[in-house]
Amino acid sequence: MAKSRRFARKIVPFVFLSPFLIMFVLFRVWPIVSAFHLSFQELKGIGTSRFVGISNYTTLLSDRRFVSSFLTTSYYTAATLLTLIPIPLVLSVLLFQRHLPGRNLFRTLIFLPSLTSLVVVGTVFRLILADTGGLVNTILGLFGVSPLRWLLVPSLAVPSLTMLALWRWTGMNIVYFSSGLTTIPSEVYEAARLDGAEGFSLFRYITVPMIKPIIVFVITISIIGGYQVFVEPYILYPGGRTPGEAGLTVAVYLYRTAFRNFNMGYAAAIGVVLAGIIFVVSLVQFQVSGFFRR
Amino acid sequence: MERWKIAGVVFVGLLVFAISSVWAQQEVKLTFWTFVEKHADYMQLAVEEFNKANPDIKLVLEASTYPYEEMHDKLLMALASGVGAPDLADIEISKFGLFLRGDIQLHDLTDMVDEYRDKLVQERLSPYNYQGRQYGIDYHLGALVMYYNLELFQNAGINVDDITTWDAYVEAGKKITQPDKDIWMTVVETSDLWTIHPLMEQRGGGAYNAKGEMILDCQENIEALQFMQDLVHKYGIARVAPGSYVHDPSFYAFANEGRVASLWMPQWYMIRFTEFMPDLFGKVAIRPMPRVTPEGRRSGMGGGTGTAITKQIDPGKLDVAKRFLGLAKLTYEANKRIWTDLGFDPIRKDVYDDPELMKPLPYFNNEPVLAVIKDLFEHGDIKPEYLGPHYPEIREILRETVCYRVIEEKADPATVLKEAAEEIRALEKE
Repeated sequence: MAKSRRFARKIVPFVFLSPFLIMFVLFRVWPIVSAFHLSFQELKGIGTSRFVGISNYTTLLSDRRFVSSFLTTSYYTAATLLTLIPIPLVLSVLLFQRHLPGRNLFRTLIFLPSLTSLVVVGTVFRLILADTGGLVNTILGLFGVSPLRWLLVPSLAVPSLTMLALWRWTGMNIVYFSSGLTTIPSEVYEAARLDGAEGFSLFRYITVPMIKPIIVFVITISIIGGYQVFVEPYILYPGGRTPGEAGLTVAVYLYRTAFRNFNMGYAAAIGVVLAGIIFVVSLVQFQVSGFFRR
Repeated sequence: MERWKIAGVVFVGLLVFAISSVWAQQEVKLTFWTFVEKHADYMQLAVEEFNKANPDIKLVLEASTYPYEEMHDKLLMALASGVGAPDLADIEISKFGLFLRGDIQLHDLTDMVDEYRDKLVQERLSPYNYQGRQYGIDYHLGALVMYYNLELFQNAGINVDDITTWDAYVEAGKKITQPDKDIWMTVVETSDLWTIHPLMEQRGGGAYNAKGEMILDCQENIEALQFMQDLVHKYGIARVAPGSYVHDPSFYAFANEGRVASLWMPQWYMIRFTEFMPDLFGKVAIRPMPRVTPEGRRSGMGGGTGTAITKQIDPGKLDVAKRFLGLAKLTYEANKRIWTDLGFDPIRKDVYDDPELMKPLPYFNNEPVLAVIKDLFEHGDIKPEYLGPHYPEIREILRETVCYRVIEEKADPATVLKEAAEEIRALEKE
């Protein structure tokens, strides 16, 4: 009797967990396994799959589009890291100041872009970045800068995408940083002030070190988000087609291969390699930031 | 008392009749996916017509409208996985080829089309015909025409009817274009194919020929691409469309300001004028495209959407689905509605004589636009477009690489097309 009760006690947690576990296996683990399986197949038409070994992966190595899309994605990721970490960090510290008038209004305004419909964002940004009569060029014109062809030249593809990402994600990153700022005890600041620290020194020696785990977290999700970028090029350019393929990211290339060219096996291989790249880059970043040492 | 008895018998009789007629009426539910809300509305009207014509059947159409890419992706997945596809689906011409690879999951509609074949513009059947079988039926002809902004031509003292050749077009363009005022004879696209596609088709080029051979780097296409490059860099009468393609909001605003004198596009682009360029009301005239040679064709076809019946349909409903599709797309009345409800050029020839289709349109210089199109197909000016297995990739490469390189990088058209064709040939070999 006691034995069966012990058994029941052991099994109960699994019974309660089972709905989640079943969903997790069905909708997370299984697709990953089947994508991996698919990456060793050639599937270019309905009902035509055949095993091709590692051929998809070897083709990928010499695929100039894949290589260039990887470089573009890395460029974009770097650009978003350089903008989407410092700017929201500084803004969140400013918005954290209790005496700032209209603090809640600014918070709401900065967060709103994260909630805006993507179709609307794409259309509005195309108008803002238009070479003729666009808002950005009009503002640049006030400073004597001649109009730039934002959406038409390859060299401005990644900067345009970064601008869109900055607009879209600043609010979200502010939320992350703000949650970190609330955990810093005010005594620490008071002690530092007694020691003569103020302004930037407080930010540099107290705020940043104290919310380092949050900064590492935001960097990590920015790297993952950066390498997976799909929505930004897709809504900013017609069907994700950027001038001279200068904004072709790995995820857009994957999508194109799968759904525009119906080459599912090869697309699965791109997906597996992309996951590997993100894994390695994240590991390197954890190592550099000293995450493992703690 | 007797009267009440009679009334009772009549009442019971009517009740029995009503119940039996409802029982005799067979309800058939069909599902339909599209990416154009107006197509869904149009099909629902066709259901009403169908039910009127077939009192024994009560057809119910469950239409769902999804965004363009999402609908095609979902459909492809549903057909590949064997579950979840609708009974009928709209498939855009650029995507149609994807559905013809491997085991074709669309029903053969050849017998249905055969019933109406002699009434239809034959050229329009070719895009959805694969190995002699018909898998889709279009909504419209999509005839390529030239849109002229008459105001700019009148200011320059030019009659658009005198522009019958591309040489005359270029000469007129030199008089009209004023780069300092940002006024241009036309614009070119660098991220879509609507500038190059008509030029290629008109010359007899395109993606595939009638034999199904891939002809992307044929001489006709090279000449078309060279001409497109010359418009910008040699003659200086065209600029890149604001936003890089003519479906961009910034282009609509630009054209609405009267900065573009002409544009060659399919007939269905008319609704972009009426919807997005209100200031051009009454100033736009539609004419055939100029000829390349004195005997050359004045048009071709552009774009399209084929409605298909998927193999996931319950076999018991297939007959009704085919009859419905025939009524919605191929009958005289249906083709009239294609123009009156959707504003598209119909694929049935005899309907062009209908007074309803020949009404003048105030926006378009108060002219009957379809008269131009009738003239085109009656003179054999509309070149049939042929699709092949890699048509989707060819369109993609034209959109993303070819036009961009030729215009922005001033690359040699022959080299660019040869490289693009090699890429497609590599896919064919796999």
